[in-house]
Amino acid sequence: MKDNKLNIKDFITIGIFTALIFVVEFACGMLGFIHPYIVASYVVLIPLVGSIPMMLFYTKVEKFGMLTIMSVLIAIIMFVTGMGWLGAPLIIAAGLIADLIAKKGDYKSFKMTVPSHGVFCLWICANYFPVIVTAKDYRKSLLDGGYSAEYCDALFRAINGKTIAILLALCFIFGMIGAFVGKAVVRKHFEKAGIA
Amino acid sequence: MIKIHLDPRTKLVMIFAVSFIVMVNAVSTIEWIVRIIVTLIPVFLLANEGKHVSAIRFLLCYAAAILLLKYYISAESTGILSALLLGYCGIVAQFMPAMIMAWYVIHTTKIGEFMSAMQKMHIPDGISVSLAVVMRFFPTIKEECLSINDAMKMRDISFGGGRITKMIEYRLVPLMFSCLNIGDELSAAAVTRGLGAQVRRTSPVQLKIKAVDWLMIVIFLLSMIIFVISKYFR
Repeated sequence: MKDNKLNIKDFITIGIFTALIFVVEFACGMLGFIHPYIVASYVVLIPLVGSIPMMLFYTKVEKFGMLTIMSVLIAIIMFVTGMGWLGAPLIIAAGLIADLIAKKGDYKSFKMTVPSHGVFCLWICANYFPVIVTAKDYRKSLLDGGYSAEYCDALFRAINGKTIAILLALCFIFGMIGAFVGKAVVRKHFEKAGIA
Repeated sequence: MIKIHLDPRTKLVMIFAVSFIVMVNAVSTIEWIVRIIVTLIPVFLLANEGKHVSAIRFLLCYAAAILLLKYYISAESTGILSALLLGYCGIVAQFMPAMIMAWYVIHTTKIGEFMSAMQKMHIPDGISVSLAVVMRFFPTIKEECLSINDAMKMRDISFGGGRITKMIEYRLVPLMFSCLNIGDELSAAAVTRGLGAQVRRTSPVQLKIKAVDWLMIVIFLLSMIIFVISKYFR
């Protein structure tokens, strides 16, 4: 019997993988202290590393809504950790679209999983939203918050209204590449063990 | 000393207010005062719950960052060391309140309380259950990470022999394995406790908003209002 409603096991799976993704994001985020260009390179780092738990998550997804709920959770966590609510619509929209794409492939076909993961990775760009939308204020708050002027200049050279399109595109592309990387790792470790 | 036990809903208000305050940068003296008060309250609450060590650790860390920022560094200082120090202190001073708050909430809220509060606020099951799992999982992931680290050290795999991909693989894959196993056990436990059944759940914990809760809610809302006013209506 195929049940289309989400049950408690699905919710717990979502929770676990959200926590894992967030740990990956946090670990990559720590690198950002070193140099602002690393902040811009999150679009490469997080999709590649995060793809490993994500691909395993995709093997567990069978029903509509799981990816959407995950994106809502990510939005909540981002808010609580002080990243602002500006990115929340983008995060949730990315989750919803990714969900719809994956649904097309019935959550089974890898062909659909690849673009779906690409779209889902767009949530990373939500991190940059405060930088772009409130560029002046944000710069001031960084300076007041104790970042050096050098750091700010470099940050705004890397991330502004013009480069955001490139960053979004990179996110998408590396999300797709990440899907292959993640799939390879999942195949190597988890399918053999019979988990995926 | 009497133990202060806050309602999870109060804690939610506190988290909301603190994350708001953390996002707005403090410029004037009054804003700094509010911000420091808002940071000291969870530290005090942590100490009150008997977590003295972490309370003191947070306090020292925060005080050091604030003092360094205030007296030793300005936006004009250059050089790699001061830039690093500056960035670090800035981050600590900026985000520490939210971190302390989150730490306090995660370590003092029982999952049962949290679920019952969520139910009272009519949050859909999907969000509340997943959120509860996330909350419960952060400490678990940390523990697992430490154990994996030890295991890898025993096999002499520290930093994957310099190869970054290996390092990620050797850490992440075992972590995912153990998380999946824990998840299976968790869902079995959840089903046993009647989560996901069609009926409304009852809870042995009776939640009630007491005087202390009101006090906290008022303090945190006030501090939020002060920030909004000084930011937008000056």
